Amino acid sequence: MGYGMVIDQQLCVGCAACTIACKIENNTPVGINWCDKITRTTGKFPDVRYEYISTMCNHCDNAPCVAACPTQAMHKDRQTGLTLHDPKKCIGCKACIVGCPYGVISVNWERPHRHWAQRDRLAEGCFSPREMVEESGGEGSPHGNPERGTTYPVVRPAGTVEKCTFCDHRLAQGLAPACVDACPSGARQFGDIDDPNSEVSKLVARHGGQGLREHLGTRPRVIYIRDYKPQRRFEPARPAGEGQGA
Amino acid sequence: MNSNVSFRDFATPTWILIAVGLVAGGAVGLYEMFFGHLFATNNALVWTLPLVVYIFLALMSTGVSLVLAYGLIMKDASITQHTRPLLIMAIGLLLGGFTALATELGSVLNLVWILLSPNLSSPIWWMGALYSVELVLLIVKLVMDLKGRHGVFDMPLAWGTLVIAAAAAITIGAVFGTVIGRPDYHGAFLSIVTLVSALVSGTAAIVLLRPQSALTETAGRIFRQTALLFAALILMRVAYEAHSTVAGMLGWASIAMLAPFLIAAVLFTLAPRLLSLLGILGVLWVQYSFIITGQLVSLGQTAHWYGAVQSYQPNLAEVLVLVLGIAVAAALIKLGEQFLIERRPAA
Ligand code: SF4
Ligand code: SF4
Repeated sequence: MGYGMVIDQQLCVGCAACTIACKIENNTPVGINWCDKITRTTGKFPDVRYEYISTMCNHCDNAPCVAACPTQAMHKDRQTGLTLHDPKKCIGCKACIVGCPYGVISVNWERPHRHWAQRDRLAEGCFSPREMVEESGGEGSPHGNPERGTTYPVVRPAGTVEKCTFCDHRLAQGLAPACVDACPSGARQFGDIDDPNSEVSKLVARHGGQGLREHLGTRPRVIYIRDYKPQRRFEPARPAGEGQGA
Repeated sequence: MNSNVSFRDFATPTWILIAVGLVAGGAVGLYEMFFGHLFATNNALVWTLPLVVYIFLALMSTGVSLVLAYGLIMKDASITQHTRPLLIMAIGLLLGGFTALATELGSVLNLVWILLSPNLSSPIWWMGALYSVELVLLIVKLVMDLKGRHGVFDMPLAWGTLVIAAAAAITIGAVFGTVIGRPDYHGAFLSIVTLVSALVSGTAAIVLLRPQSALTETAGRIFRQTALLFAALILMRVAYEAHSTVAGMLGWASIAMLAPFLIAAVLFTLAPRLLSLLGILGVLWVQYSFIITGQLVSLGQTAHWYGAVQSYQPNLAEVLVLVLGIAVAAALIKLGEQFLIERRPAA
């Protein structure tokens, strides 16, 4: 048993709903995105190609971040295949960040959401940021999700790192990660990628596919299938002579 | 113990400079540890000048320990006569490095997990363990020397220090050399760089801080040899980087880096202390260059935030951590010299 995600590049429209859903679900602070993107523009006009690759922790089987961590704060959960982080053990040495070849771990250089602690009101009669947090009952920020707190602190401690957990708190409830549920085009599929009969394994078997920087031997659990290829090119018929001259 | 120390011994330009360094750097260190973030870092460039300072001082301490262990094993009187000052120097430099490292760690209180939950596959864990053992060995040797206890334990302790110090220097290189996916870090070469740079900076520190003719001659000889070896290593790296086709490699070595080592080695006898200082600055340049360059290429999503390749200039707070590390080392060395070394009356 080991969780994995398949992202179908043919179906992904680059809307970033996954990024926003992750941000809300996991209460990530300003400047930290557990789910983000790599974009690539290649070719020469008019044959240019733009790629949008949704990216997050790959929960590598052979995770360099885990090997580098001196305190086992970054560790593998052998039952689920997830790469998880224990902030109580984290000393903030950042070896995991230097070790991860995907750039998906972030540091809380300062106390997260500290702007929400301000008591100053912009104008008389308004809520101050602090009052908004108190009124909403959120932790750290008004949108602090209490369910996140069942497996990982809603507000992570300053001086420690954080990254995607594949929404382990949702998996424990039998739900898919928030990014998977939010994807409007069904480009993200999630399941037991170690089981050859699971949907995700069948997708990989049907289309091939690979993880990012696989040549490094990290054995990522996020697999990208199919390159985006335009299926139908819309070419409006133009009446002869239109658009010529000026 | 020297009981003739008076207030006047502290009213010197050196102590005033050290005090200024401790206050200015200490203020930055405390602010960084407990209040907010001052360093020029981001999520793609996480190890900056404060970490370089730790590595610089820890390796310099290693070099001093290696020279002392060599002297004890080879029974070289020019070195063994200065056992106590060299022990004080090695301890002071190492604690100066640890101070710089403490400002860099996000959560110092969690350090207990290094003991409670060790990860033996982590080079950082080994680095921490080896330098802790090294510090304990140095302190044990100093206490034994102060108590005048010499005998059966001297040789095993000397060998122990030699092995631990060499392993610690090699492990610092492995912290970077075992990283995958960052071409400027990868490879065993960096362990050779850290080991040799420890010898260059350690011997240079001995010549600079302990100018005694016989010791300067011995340490100076090792300094010149290792400086030339270091120049040869950098030249090899320059040639490798010039021909490398590895994608994403920026290259941290340059021909200009050879200059301080060649000049210091060739002209050493003209101005030993000045040229030792040049060698030390050269080592700092090399270590700074490889540690920073390895992180300049942004990986994955961080390219969106910070650009494909970053540039880095240390800010004032980071420079003050350099000042702090040096000030702590200097204060401990001076205190050790004033309190633990008997001054002989001038003849
Ligand atoms: S993607 Fe990075 S953080 Fe995630 S498991 Fe792999 S190495 Fe670790
Ligand atoms: S920053 Fe924390 S999780 Fe990362 S390597 Fe250091 S202790 Fe481990």
